[in-house]
Amino acid sequence: MKLLTANTGSYPKIGSSPGTQKHREAYARWERGEITREEFERIQDEVVKEVIEEQVRAGLDMVTDGQVRWMDPISRFTEGLKGCELDGLLRYFDTNFYFRQPVVREKPVIIQPVSKAEYLLAKRLSPVRVKQVITGPYTLARHSINKAHVDFHTFVRWFTEVVAQEVHALSRLGRCFIQIDEPAILRHPEDAKIFQDAIQEVCSEKHRSKLYLYTYFGDASTLLPLLENLPVDGVGFDFIYGSKLLSLIQERGFGKEAVGLGLVDGRNTRMERPSEIFYVLRRVLPKLEAEVVYLNPSCGLEFLPREVAFEKLRNMVEICKEARVKFL
Amino acid sequence: MKLKLPLLPLTAVGSFPKPLALVEARRRKVEREKLRKLEREATERWIRIQEEVGLDVLVDGEFYRGDMVAYFAEELAGFRMGGLVRSYGNRYYRKPIIVGEVRYQGPITVEWWEFAQSLTQKPVKGVITGPYTMMDWSFNEYYPSREQACLALARELRKEVRNLYRAGARIIQIDEPALSARPEELPIANRALKILTEGVNAYFICHVCYGAFEFIYPQMLRLPVQNFDLEMSNSDLDLVELFRRHPFTKDISFGVIDVHSHVVEKVEQVKSRIQKALEVLNPRQVWIDPDCGLKTRTEEEAVAKLRVMVEATRQVRDTLA
Repeated sequence: MKLLTANTGSYPKIGSSPGTQKHREAYARWERGEITREEFERIQDEVVKEVIEEQVRAGLDMVTDGQVRWMDPISRFTEGLKGCELDGLLRYFDTNFYFRQPVVREKPVIIQPVSKAEYLLAKRLSPVRVKQVITGPYTLARHSINKAHVDFHTFVRWFTEVVAQEVHALSRLGRCFIQIDEPAILRHPEDAKIFQDAIQEVCSEKHRSKLYLYTYFGDASTLLPLLENLPVDGVGFDFIYGSKLLSLIQERGFGKEAVGLGLVDGRNTRMERPSEIFYVLRRVLPKLEAEVVYLNPSCGLEFLPREVAFEKLRNMVEICKEARVKFL
Repeated sequence: MKLKLPLLPLTAVGSFPKPLALVEARRRKVEREKLRKLEREATERWIRIQEEVGLDVLVDGEFYRGDMVAYFAEELAGFRMGGLVRSYGNRYYRKPIIVGEVRYQGPITVEWWEFAQSLTQKPVKGVITGPYTMMDWSFNEYYPSREQACLALARELRKEVRNLYRAGARIIQIDEPALSARPEELPIANRALKILTEGVNAYFICHVCYGAFEFIYPQMLRLPVQNFDLEMSNSDLDLVELFRRHPFTKDISFGVIDVHSHVVEKVEQVKSRIQKALEVLNPRQVWIDPDCGLKTRTEEEAVAKLRVMVEATRQVRDTLA
């Protein structure tokens, strides 16, 4: 078993000191029409470079592009989709973050996959492994407004096609690491069947890539059998919410090739103590059949100030080093 | 606490647009006295506007507050200002961090309430940010749980409530926009509001906005307040259908003005919103106000919107008399 450190998704686009606000300034200037789209894209590339450098400096084994181009987890795909427009603000789960809800009036048609370019850029900039993070079809459908007058199952299937095309485009590049985020399923266990169909469909496009399914913002303990049986290569859990998760995994084990343990709170500034992380690892690691276990934040890091996000990752890497000696 | 107010009392939620001079002064971080003078001028100006427009219960306009959570966090011991966090799009804010035991260090808003009340014969609401929202919108590095943080905040903010009451405030509004964030935590919010309000003989209003009410209704009616101030218009009055199924048992401040739109509503439009409310509510239960604070609008828009609200309410009152 290998124990590696990874980022879970987003990374803060700006810092709190004046020198680190490039993205915010460029966005505002682009909105005001003072710079061109190309110029804004170039600056976003620079920010991707910065956030990858920071993750590498923190010592991660696997980084993301920070989802710099994602203004929220929902609208990144839909902005490029024909048949979608954006509505008012809605709170994203129980966070202090808001997103614009896509309104879908007809079957969305993908114009150009967005993940491929993001992945290629990150891959070019990173000396370590890169993981491409994509919101899954079920969560996209749950957060969109269905004005197409189709049943929910069909609605999910539409988004499944969109995500499957993204995965297809990525997998044609070779063997990639792809993470599909599905936090919404934790709140709707009754949709297990719809969800399962969607993920199976997405998986059929993965070819040689490794596809991980991550859930967060809730306790996944009731869904363990479902998650275990999905044809994904790995599953990621949020342990900050999951009060029953630990005891259940201890009791029944969890059989997947890769498992992500979200033991570092991606939503609070308090630094984890090694003992807290060891407490869980000691109980969980013997119950996993995984080849790779990732120690990662419980969710994307954009809920934290940038300086804290970096410190969290650095701290996690230190704890992981100790854990390897202790538990492997 | 019984209040003597006309039918369908007219009020505002809390904030009004800051005058440009004040915005500039805040940005340039001018000295405290100069800033205070501008804040007092704006307060006075808006007390006059509210009287002239015809509101029945006034607010101080919150010209001295930046962010509704950060303002109280700065005044309470136990908080430290955090770094920038994105709230949506290209908007960022500094999210406070609870780093020690939360402690009340003396009156926070009382002087502003006294000042505003000294300018008018109409009642002025005391308005504070509630303990649940203070907890939910801050990082917590000190308390072992969200519940403990929330209850500690409630015990300290209770002192502000008492001080507002002692100063003479008889209508006190607790802003809890985060109330519906975690429906399973409603009992915690309930305990916190009990701590806040117990033994204080004021008329309590709880302002909640932009949430998923369907998950906390009708349970939220058990909270120890007399009036819920709800955003109704931004969500197309969807809640009215909810009230049809489960009767609303308390008073309500019914938001009839969308504060996130530049467009000034038509009198007929607002009238029909009020009439829709009266399909499921008794006129004696209903107060009329905008969805939320008007600070996001220009002064012209805010005044125009209030005028429409007052005119529409008067016309409905006439039909009820």
